[in-house]
Amino acid sequence: MPRIGVFVCQCGNNIAATVDTKKVAEEMSKIPGVVYTCDYKFMCSSPGQEMLKQAIKENKLDGVIVSACSPHMHEKTFRKASEAAGLNPYQCEITNIREQCSWVHHDSTKKVGTLKSTDLTRMTIERLKKNAPLKKIKIPIKKKALVIGGGIAGIQAALDIAEGGRQVILVEREPSIGGNMARLSETFPTMDCSQCILTPKMVEAELNENITLLTYSEIEKVDGYIGNFTVQIRRKSKYVDEERCTGCGECMEKCPFKTESQFELGLNKRKIIYTPFPQSVPNVPVIDAPNCPKIQKDKCGACAVVCGPKCIDFKMEDKIVTEEVGAIVVATGYQLMPNERFGEYGYGRIKDVISGMQFERLASSSGPTGGEIRRPSDGKVPKNVVFIQCVGSRDEKKGVSYCSKICCMYTAKHTKLYSHKVHGGQSYVFYMDIRSGGKRYEEFVRGAIEHDGAMYLRGRVSRVYEKDGKVIVQGADTLSGSQVEIEADMVVLATAIVSRTGADTLAQKLGIGYDKYKFYNEYHPKLKPVETVTAGIFLAGTCMGPMDIPESVAQGSAAASKVLSLFSADEMAREPITSVVNKTTCNACWDCVTACPYSAIERDTIKNRQGEILRWVAKVNDGVCQGCGVCVAACRSKSIDLKGYTDEQVFAAINAF
Amino acid sequence: MENTLRQKAKELLESGEVKVVIGYRWNRTRTRTTPVFITKPEDTDQLIFNPLCVNNLSLYLTRKFKDIQALGKPAIVAKGCDIKNIVVLITEAQVKREDVFIIGMVCNGMVYKQELWKGELTPQIMPTKCHNCDVRNPHVADFVIGERSTFTPPEKPEGMVFDKIKALDSKDPSERWAFWINEFSRCIKCYACRQVCSLCFCERCITEKNMPQWIETSAHPRGNLSWNLTRAMHLVGRCTFCGECERACPVNIPLNLINQKMIQVVGEAFDFKSGYDEKVHPPMIVFSPDDKENFIK
Repeated sequence: MPRIGVFVCQCGNNIAATVDTKKVAEEMSKIPGVVYTCDYKFMCSSPGQEMLKQAIKENKLDGVIVSACSPHMHEKTFRKASEAAGLNPYQCEITNIREQCSWVHHDSTKKVGTLKSTDLTRMTIERLKKNAPLKKIKIPIKKKALVIGGGIAGIQAALDIAEGGRQVILVEREPSIGGNMARLSETFPTMDCSQCILTPKMVEAELNENITLLTYSEIEKVDGYIGNFTVQIRRKSKYVDEERCTGCGECMEKCPFKTESQFELGLNKRKIIYTPFPQSVPNVPVIDAPNCPKIQKDKCGACAVVCGPKCIDFKMEDKIVTEEVGAIVVATGYQLMPNERFGEYGYGRIKDVISGMQFERLASSSGPTGGEIRRPSDGKVPKNVVFIQCVGSRDEKKGVSYCSKICCMYTAKHTKLYSHKVHGGQSYVFYMDIRSGGKRYEEFVRGAIEHDGAMYLRGRVSRVYEKDGKVIVQGADTLSGSQVEIEADMVVLATAIVSRTGADTLAQKLGIGYDKYKFYNEYHPKLKPVETVTAGIFLAGTCMGPMDIPESVAQGSAAASKVLSLFSADEMAREPITSVVNKTTCNACWDCVTACPYSAIERDTIKNRQGEILRWVAKVNDGVCQGCGVCVAACRSKSIDLKGYTDEQVFAAINAF
Repeated sequence: MENTLRQKAKELLESGEVKVVIGYRWNRTRTRTTPVFITKPEDTDQLIFNPLCVNNLSLYLTRKFKDIQALGKPAIVAKGCDIKNIVVLITEAQVKREDVFIIGMVCNGMVYKQELWKGELTPQIMPTKCHNCDVRNPHVADFVIGERSTFTPPEKPEGMVFDKIKALDSKDPSERWAFWINEFSRCIKCYACRQVCSLCFCERCITEKNMPQWIETSAHPRGNLSWNLTRAMHLVGRCTFCGECERACPVNIPLNLINQKMIQVVGEAFDFKSGYDEKVHPPMIVFSPDDKENFIK
């Protein structure tokens, strides 16, 4: 016969107001197997926990039930206390008689609440009787991290992990790290030059001996689980030997062909063998194979001729490298929504309608105009510039429903930059609301309006068209209630931030969740902001949603601190609430494999002594399984059980009801 | 048509490409067809194909028939509707596509029950599925036999099953409940529906799990209800409406109504039809951010 103790908590008045806890305890004492019951004001208090320990020892209890608040609150507390008293912690179960019972009943006669508490506790008792003692799962940890994405968030995460003395692999899709921040001219609210603050970090990342930079590379496949990931990385062919290249730039000089520069967003040309920008890290050029006549038609080859160290190899092929890491930080960043979607603004049709990011390049001293604001069509200095905010943001019909968060600030910055660079120029801003929450942000916007003369017009633009070399902007000023028409020289669109193309494919490889906009989901929006539901995979920066540089950097550091604390122990303990497969009845239909959101189920075989495969069966990897139970529901032959919530336990609980 | 079939079967067995041909033959009195498993090339003359070949032979590809699986790679004589089941079996990893040779038979309809056969195929003796068939020309096959059918199914499915579902849908829930309780009350728990279903391939059926016994095994209303509803739920997004369960039921429970209703629900909610593409998993086990959430009220 089991020896079960039942402890009913009054939770001050939280439970006791609608539940007669004494009566519940009394009722429970009548159940066979229950040898000790009591009720107490605060079970979670120190005296309450002491009482529990005492009772376990004195009555030789082999199972404990605390009827109190949600197990989310104090299951850990009571399991720890039980363990201290010599009991297997998983022989301690919680009945929730607060959130789903006392709080939802307002019957001061306590009749209903007491009845429900009695039922719930009785069910837990029957469930507990079928409990098996469980042991925490210990998994070894490989103390090397992978950071995906070499923007500012990824660089920060990599640097912090490396500073902590751990090895980091930083994977970047483009030929250089730096990300979107490398494109920016100045940064709000301090107006310091973006590249001046970014490039030292890029160089630091390159020089740090704990960081391995893999640029021009993409994630091919991710297997494994927290502490033990195996990652395959595709190293796209650069056609240039990284080891031997000295970065002299002779090849780029001599390359006779040009194409549009993606880095300059079409505002300038680049060579076919190129680095995206002069301060690229690593300073090794790559050949743009689809556009290279040597690779396509075996003509030219000028770069190879001039290359001193002879490091150009036109036959180079993609390589797949396999790395074993213990944690992954995903920092893949954002891109801008294609502006062509908004026909009324004329982007793509009218040359002098540009995106905010293109304006950054115009204003940047390393940009195509050397930092002078000149419009793309004829290179004239624009005297009137219209900035349109919320292009795509907060626009459920044509764009996205969320606010892109940084546009109010960078548009204010643009007007400032414009007024500093073009004296006597007038800027107009069409906005919906000015959202400038943040340290020194509001003052920054006020400065743009009051000192730099930006004209803010609250309203939407209905039409943008060309007339006599001018760009005419028609819109509404809702504050004065009038229609306005501005003859502008240039129009700048503050386009919505969207997730990266391919964000969903990467998420599927990693087994992490994403929302309908394909931004990655954090585990908990408030309390676990950089964790994902997949243990060991962390997030940083704008792959989660729009945010500015300070936030991205903070998240990079936060993710790094999570990685470092994970790496601080040699092995980690995990909750043993995991699924287990009954191999004799498994059909190997792999529905569980498909259904598992954590990729925790593998295809395993049963072999005979000769090593021949007799059958295929599913196998749960304890290290990855989060105990969600989706596989249990998906399995038609009931071949999967969840430890701690087995079929028999659930059946017993239902029968006791 | 039969000659081509026999010829092909012979070739396959002689070349050793397959080890067994699963097909149909006449019974001794030539009034019904029965499944046949041919392993020798000289026996292929037994093979036939006619409107009495109503059985869904895909059943014999499953783990329920380990003795047939042990023979080696099979070739299977399959109508379009049977192929749908094979596709689901491939999706659920019960058969590998390369491990089965599908002899696809162009079909112009089958009889609903073999007793109804009077020597001529008329629409009256055809089941609802044949009236709405979009796979008379086999959609997945290694070798197709028969003259291409030009039949186009009606735009909106029609037939007895659909009419009955419509009639049931128009009733209120309590009437529907009474209808089904009455129908299920006849169930004798013979599990013929399960045995004949090629998608009921479980190593151990849930009804045979006795620790704990979720489904009561005795044939009384409660156990009958839980058995029939559980089986229906296990077929959601998988059932191809082959109709074998209803055909096999000795007490005439209208299982087609449940299964077709489920197919309609899945079609509306997830825009999914089973049995067409082996790469697409049934919606009940996959999550998509585009899933409708209109059932959350």
